[in-house]
Order: sequence, then structure tokens, then C-alpha cells
Amino acid sequence: MTLIVKTLTAMEPETPGWRARLAAWTPFLVIAPSLIASFVYVFVFSGWTLYISLSDSSMLPSYRFVGIRPYIDLWSNLRWKIAYSNLFFFSGFYVVLAMLLGLALAIAIDQRVRGEAIWRTIFLYPLAVSFVVTGAVWRWIYSPDVGIEHFVRGFGWSDFTFRLTTDRNLAIYAIIATGVWQSSGFAMALFLAGLRSVDPDLVKAAQIDGASRFRIYAKIILPTIAPIFVAVAVVLLQFAIKTFDLVVALTNGGPGISTTFPANYVYDLMFQRGQINIGAAAAVMMLLALAVVLVPYSLWLVWRRRREGRAYG
Amino acid sequence: MGMKRAALAGLATCALIGSAMAEPKTNLLSQWSEGSDAAALAKLGQMFTAAGGKWQATSIAGHTANTLAKLRSDVIEGNAPPAVQLKGPEIAEWNATGKTANLDALAAKEGWDKVVAPELLPVMKPTGHWVAVPMNIHRINWIWGSTEAMKQAGIATLPKTWAEFNADCDKALAAHLICLAHFSQDWTDSTVFEDVVYGQDIDLFRKAFVEGDTNAMRSPEMVKAFTQFRLMVSKYMDPGIAGRDYDTTTGMIKNGKAVFFIMGDWQIGIFTAAGMKTPQDYVCAQSPTDWGKPGFILNSDSVVFFKQTDPDYIAGQTLLAHLIMSPKFQTVFNQTKGSIPARLDIDLSQGWNACQQQSQAALQASIKDGALVRSFAHNMTILQKYRGAAMEVITSFVSNPKMTPKEAADAMADAVDSQK
Amino acid sequence: MVDAAYEAEYLAAARTEARRYALGRIGVYAFLTVFAIIYLLPLFVVIANSFRQLPEITRNGLIAFPRSFSLEAWPRAWSHFCVGGACEGIHRNFYNSLLMTIPATIISSLLGALNGYVLSKWRFRGSEVLFVCMMLGVFMPGQIALMPWAFVLGHLHISNTLQGLVLIHCVQGLSFTTLFCRNYYISIPDDLVKAARIDGAGFWRIFYKIILPLSPPILIVTVIWQFTGIWNEYLFGVVFTDGAQQPITAALVALATSQMNAHAYDVTGAAVLIGAAPPLLIYFLGGKYFVRGLTQGAVK
Repeated sequence: MTLIVKTLTAMEPETPGWRARLAAWTPFLVIAPSLIASFVYVFVFSGWTLYISLSDSSMLPSYRFVGIRPYIDLWSNLRWKIAYSNLFFFSGFYVVLAMLLGLALAIAIDQRVRGEAIWRTIFLYPLAVSFVVTGAVWRWIYSPDVGIEHFVRGFGWSDFTFRLTTDRNLAIYAIIATGVWQSSGFAMALFLAGLRSVDPDLVKAAQIDGASRFRIYAKIILPTIAPIFVAVAVVLLQFAIKTFDLVVALTNGGPGISTTFPANYVYDLMFQRGQINIGAAAAVMMLLALAVVLVPYSLWLVWRRRREGRAYG
Repeated sequence: MGMKRAALAGLATCALIGSAMAEPKTNLLSQWSEGSDAAALAKLGQMFTAAGGKWQATSIAGHTANTLAKLRSDVIEGNAPPAVQLKGPEIAEWNATGKTANLDALAAKEGWDKVVAPELLPVMKPTGHWVAVPMNIHRINWIWGSTEAMKQAGIATLPKTWAEFNADCDKALAAHLICLAHFSQDWTDSTVFEDVVYGQDIDLFRKAFVEGDTNAMRSPEMVKAFTQFRLMVSKYMDPGIAGRDYDTTTGMIKNGKAVFFIMGDWQIGIFTAAGMKTPQDYVCAQSPTDWGKPGFILNSDSVVFFKQTDPDYIAGQTLLAHLIMSPKFQTVFNQTKGSIPARLDIDLSQGWNACQQQSQAALQASIKDGALVRSFAHNMTILQKYRGAAMEVITSFVSNPKMTPKEAADAMADAVDSQK
Repeated sequence: MVDAAYEAEYLAAARTEARRYALGRIGVYAFLTVFAIIYLLPLFVVIANSFRQLPEITRNGLIAFPRSFSLEAWPRAWSHFCVGGACEGIHRNFYNSLLMTIPATIISSLLGALNGYVLSKWRFRGSEVLFVCMMLGVFMPGQIALMPWAFVLGHLHISNTLQGLVLIHCVQGLSFTTLFCRNYYISIPDDLVKAARIDGAGFWRIFYKIILPLSPPILIVTVIWQFTGIWNEYLFGVVFTDGAQQPITAALVALATSQMNAHAYDVTGAAVLIGAAPPLLIYFLGGKYFVRGLTQGAVK
């Protein structure tokens, strides 16, 4: 900043007063409101939640400190344990499947297919549809009464069953499948753009060397777009951890409590049950889960930036 | 109208000095966004407008959680709604926050204590002061039969005991029908289960579900109730219960695909809306009991009033409370909704469904016999946190065929204990 | 002689290669077609059902070739159908969503552009740290923020208004837009800015004359991202507004989770399409730029 001030004063030696100082401070002034808003949003809100999670809040927030008791209550609750394990199970399958499918679609489209824009639009459109609508419509499709089961039975296969959402062991797969339907287009779009950014000379050189198509992808193209993999994974993971609307619309946590997710649990306890402190404790656990994703990612980003810095510097 | 307005202005004055000139207005927050519920609520709005008030209603769709989330955020925003549809122990909990308005003056003037069903008084007056007004009395322990399906299965009357119920169900299965129509959600699973517990053992119901005694939840009697429930879930209901919706389930009775349905009496409103009549299309009776007397599991919808500063809203609260407690509203509203009036002094002989008349008779008989209980599944007894924990176990029991009755009883007791 | 043998061998190899190529092409198209059918199934179901008659839907199921036709569901969904206790259809909610989404999208995109500009071209000590802090906002789950927002809206006296929702979406969107814009502006050569500075251009001049003209690709991304995100958001809309102020998602949930009423699949289908139309339109129009800009902005 001092450098800028110097340059500016050098430029306009006749008016060094408040104008120059204002100019020097402009970037700060411009970013300050956003910074303050973001700071309040991220740190004050999380801090408040953390404090409430250690208080005796029940019907309304209260600030009487009771220590870690809400956390003990939380971890003795069966539904919360189901919710937390659902989160890991769902996140794993959802991220991996959405990425694999996205990659497969991107590679297929990358084979110079006809009507590329149409294919791309077909696979990308679910991203524009809200989770609420996605969940509601797929709920119909999964429903034994009016959906796929009804459809197949209409052809005369009268004992055909397709009951993802009505079986407590399978309902989570219905959520995974629907989530993948919604997000794989996003992965596809990023991978496709990544594939296009690979230096064609590299690929040509490999072709001349007689490398097979598979080998070219495995050894040359995919390693080049590794950063895209990480970015896609992080975006999908944060979607996974925030999963809420989709579950509400698709299974509403059922059958039984088998598809409860942490966000649904937090919402229920904080708002329906009047157990604000335990709900806040659950929210803090969600933040911890996010940190598990974010801390390694940030470290990786810093490491990569340093390395690039060295390479170009 | 002029007379009425003058009378109301008078009421408002006696409720709060300085509000005589106020123009009554209100905004009722509720979860009645559809069907016969919304129709019944609209009637209240018409009466409020006719009495010179400015009516606004906020109906939140979806789960009750959304309504409560809205209420909680409104209160935190310092913007508590003038009137909210709330139930059971929640009235006491909100009362304890000190944010509810006091209706004692109006109650004394209109003599509510004498006409309201006694079982409701402790709910509406958690600390001895009126903070809520009851709109209706729902009966939970009902069994509905599809006239057509019963004929097909050769069942003449609705079962009186659980043994008869099981025998009838076997007949229904023999006739290739679904015995018990059901859609599995935490509250529907709990509705059926509370009817089973009540029908087997009133004392167990009181200890476990009214007092929240976890030893009773762990007892052999509770295991017995879960055993009957398991039989019903695995044999007499069909495998499609999860993910089905209410409307489809009503259709199963309408089309004669299923024989019985266990559900509270709002079902009357839904049957009526679907164009069904009793006894041509459906029949009703109290859900089976093994002790052979009229029983009554009571659920009541009520409106709670939150303290306001705007005199218009305060006047609106007085007007709304007055209207809700009026015999006219209690009649119009409940005829639409399927429930019966919360006032015991209303004659149901004209214009009411036969099932509703049966409900009122059962209410009076069960008060006399001491068989009347409040509903656990519909949030009239234990705190929401205990109820929620117990309901989670009941609904997991339904979705998990591997869970034994003994495990379920223990799990329920543990879940409630862990909330203490 | 030698030549002929060589040629035959070459031809055979070419034939195998051509066959393999053809098989590969068939495989690629088959793969894409199968998944396209799965992806389009829900859209087909919703569109078809919005034009079918309800009794026919209930009889033949949702996934069936339409055997009846009716336009009735559309006007009903728009202006007559009873949702959430009022029988006005979803038109009011639709306008609410526009009134909320458009300002919130514009404000958060512009602020994001400015922030990105500062954080990439006017870096100062600690600006990287501030950037990381702002980025954390991307990951905040909405349920955590719900109760604190209630306090904030109450204190600002904008509870139960669309302005309140605009504020929430602006703040929550800042992290995304700043992240995208900053990552995009990083790739604009610093020399360009330095040269302008030497020519005497100040902060705002550089922004208008250099940065903004280069921004359309990334602004398209932030606008699409914000517009769809805000339009589709459900939780805050339900909790922070009442009946007449509620955005479209609240009405759609009310319709789709309807329990007691006979399921009006036809009206719900039409309402879902109306409710999904604006973001879909934006995707169809801007999808190409979105993909391009996203890789430039988000992945760096």
C-alpha cells in the first residue's frame, strides 16, 4: 500500500492531501462492508452457535453455561448416530459416483460426438432444478403406487418390485442416486472443460508413440486435470454435508429414521423439539465434519501455490 | 352488526384499557394449509371479518417443524405472532418463557371454566391462568372399516378387542385383501401404537405415555404391546407402507383394497371431502380395547396468544378468543373438521355425522369411568423431547423387522432416559 | 510382390481399426443415450403430467404415455389452485421470487466483482488471509445461520420482508462471488493494471476501463450460480416470510408435500415447471458460457 501512495503522490504532486489518502484507502473501503458482513456471518454466527451448544438453551436461546453436557446428550442419541453415519456413507458414494459418472460422460462427449451442445445441456439441466423439486419428482418415480413399479407391472410383469424408498436399508441409495442425478452434470461440465484445456500436442505426441486411447487418458490427460478432480470433490463434499432439502422432499428422513441427515437433525432439534443447545451441538459437529474436508484442502491449495510460485518465480 | 361491534368494543375495553378505539386485527400462524383443515380455518376467518376484524392467516405447509421454526424465529426477531396454533405441553413451555398473553378476564366474563372439557383445563391453563383457547376435541382411538371390503372378507362388525381384530385380519388375508391400511410416518406409527397400548392396558398408557415413566416403558406389558404391533406391521399391513402418502391410504379404504384403517377422527373430514358417507362407504367404531368400556384418547387443537404492543392486535386477540369459544364457531369448525366441540354444552343431534355423535357420547362416558386420556402421539402429554425420542423408536420398530419387541421396549426407555 | 503382401496386411489392419472405431462410436452413443433417457425421465414425467387429465394419471400411473390432453392444469397452477391456505395459485410467489432473486443476484455479483478486484489487483498485507476467511462462508450450512439471522433481521426491523431475504442471500452469496471473481481476475496480467496506474488511472477508473470489460465470462458464472441458488433456496424463504411474501419454493413444497388432498399431479406438474422455468431458461441460454467461465474462475 505504501508503494501505491508513493506512486500516486509522485503522479500528482500538486494535490497530495486528502484525495491521495482517500485513493490509497479506497480498496479497503470497498472491501470493508463485505469483509465485515462475511466475518459476522462466518465467525460470529459460528461462535454464537458454539456458545449456545454449551448452554442450557431449550425453548429459546439462553446464555447460561453448562459445559459439554449437550454433547454427551447428543452422542447418546441413536438418531444422531444414524445421521452422522449416513453422512459419511452418503458423502462417500455420492462424491465418488457423481465424479465417475461425470468423468465418463465428459470423456464420451469429448469423442467429437454430434450434437455436443444438446448432450451437454441434457446432463447439465438437473443442476438448475432445486433439491425440493428434484426430491418431489423422484419421490413420485420411486413410489410403488404410481412410479416405476406401477409402470413395469403395466407390461404384465405383475410381481415386479422396485421399492428403494420404502426399504430402510435401501432408501439411502435412493438419496444417493438422486443426488448423483442432480450433480453429475456439474462434474461433467468441469471435467469436459478440463479435457479441452489439455495441450493437444501432448496427446498427439503420445499417439505417434503408439499409445492406446486408454493409456493416453490414464497417463497423460487425467493427471493433467488432477486439480479439477480436487475442486469437484470439494464442491460436491460441501453439497453432501449440507444435504437437507433433498432428504426432506424425497424421504423426509424415513422409512423410520433411517435416512436422517445431520442438517435435518439440527433443524428438528433447534426448531421443533425445543432442544436448542443439543441442536447447536449437532451443528458444531457438522462444522467439524466440514473442517475435516476443508483443512486438508486449504493446506493442499497453499502447498500448490507455493510450488507454482517456485516453478514460475 | 352494530350491536355486535359495540359489544366487542366493550370486551376489548375490559381486556385492556386503552384499546377501546382499536381496530381488531390478527394474524393466525398455523399448520392448516390444506384440505378440510384449511376449509375449517377459512370459516374462522370469515367470522372474524364479519365481526369487523382484519383477518390474516399464515399457514405453513409441510411438517410441524416448519410452523415451529417460523414461530421460534418470529419470537427471536422480537416479532411474536399475535395468535398461534399450538398444542399440549408446548403451551406450558411457551407460557414459561413469559411471552404469552393472559386471557383470564375474558374467560371469567364468558365462564369458560364451566363449559370446557375438564381434561383440557390444565393444558389451557398451565399455571392456573388462561393462555390458550381450545378449538376442538379430536378422538384418536378410532378404527374405520371399508364397508365394501368388510363385506368381501365376511366381517359383519368392527372388531371390539385386539383378539377379534387379529381374527378379522386373518379373514381379510384369506380374502386376499390388505387388512390394515397404513402409511408409515413417525406420527402415524405412533397413533396406531398408542391405540394398541391403550386398548391393552390403560394404566400402562398413563404411566408410560402421560407420566413418561421409563420403567413402565421397559415393562413386560409394553413388550406385549410391541408384540401385537409387530404382528400388525408384518402381517396385517402391506409392504408398501413407507413412502406412501395419506391420500393414497384413504383411497385404499375408498376402493375397498384394505379393510381397516386406524386413525383419528379428522379422517371424517377427509372421507367427507372424498365424497364418502357412513355407513354406505365406511363405518366407525372405537379402536379395539380389551377392557370393554368406552374409551377416549383425546387430542385438542388450540390457539395460544402472544403478548403484543399494538392495540389493534390486542383487540384482535380478544375478538379471536371470543369467537373461537363461541358455540357458533365450535359448531361450524368441527362439523367441517370431523372433531367435536371443546365445549361440552353443544347439542350434536342435528347436522353432525353419526361418528361425531358417537364421539361425544364416548367422551362423556369415559370421563365418568375415568378412562379418558390425552394423546401421546399427538403431543398432548409428555414434553416434545421425550415424545420425539419415543416416537423415533416406534417408527424404527416399524421400518426394521429385525427389531424384537423386547429390544424396542428397552430402546424406548433408553431413548427417553437419555433426554432427562 | 512384396508390395501386394504389404498392402493386404495394411488393408486388414485398417479394416480392424475401422471396425474397432465403429464399435467405439456405437458404444459412446449408446452410453450417452442410456444416460440421457435417465436424465430426461423426470422432466418428461413432469411435462407429460402437466398436460394429462388427473383421473387418467391416477389410473395409468405417472410414467405412462399420455392418453389424455388438457391445458387446464396450467391456469389453475398459476392463479387458482389452493396452496398454503390461499387459493391464488403460485403467481404471487413467482413474483416474490423474482423480486428477491434479481436484486440479490445483481448486488452480490457486483460486490463479488469489486471484492475480487481488490483481492487480486490491490493486494495488501493479510489480504490472502482475509480471502480465505471469506471463502469459508461458502461452506456454512444454512441451519446454523438460521437463528442468528432471526436476531439480525429483528434488530434491523426487516423481519418478514423480501428485503430481509435479499440481505441474507447477498451476504451468503458474497463468498461465492468473491471466490469466483478473484480467481478469475488473478489471470488478468498485473502489467495491464500497472500500466494503467502509471498512466494515472485510479482504483475506479481501472475497474471500469480494464477489469469490467474483461469480466463478462465470470459475471455470467456468478449470475447463473447466484440466480439458481437463490431462486431454489427453501429454508430461509419458509422461515423468514409469511403467506403473501413467500417465495416460490415454499409454495412448491406446500404443493408437493400435500398429504390430505387428493394428489393433484397435473397441477403440481405445471407448478413445478413454472417454478423451475427461470433457472432452467438461464441455464439453457447461458450454459455454454457457464461451463467455460466456471473452469476459469472456480478451478484455479
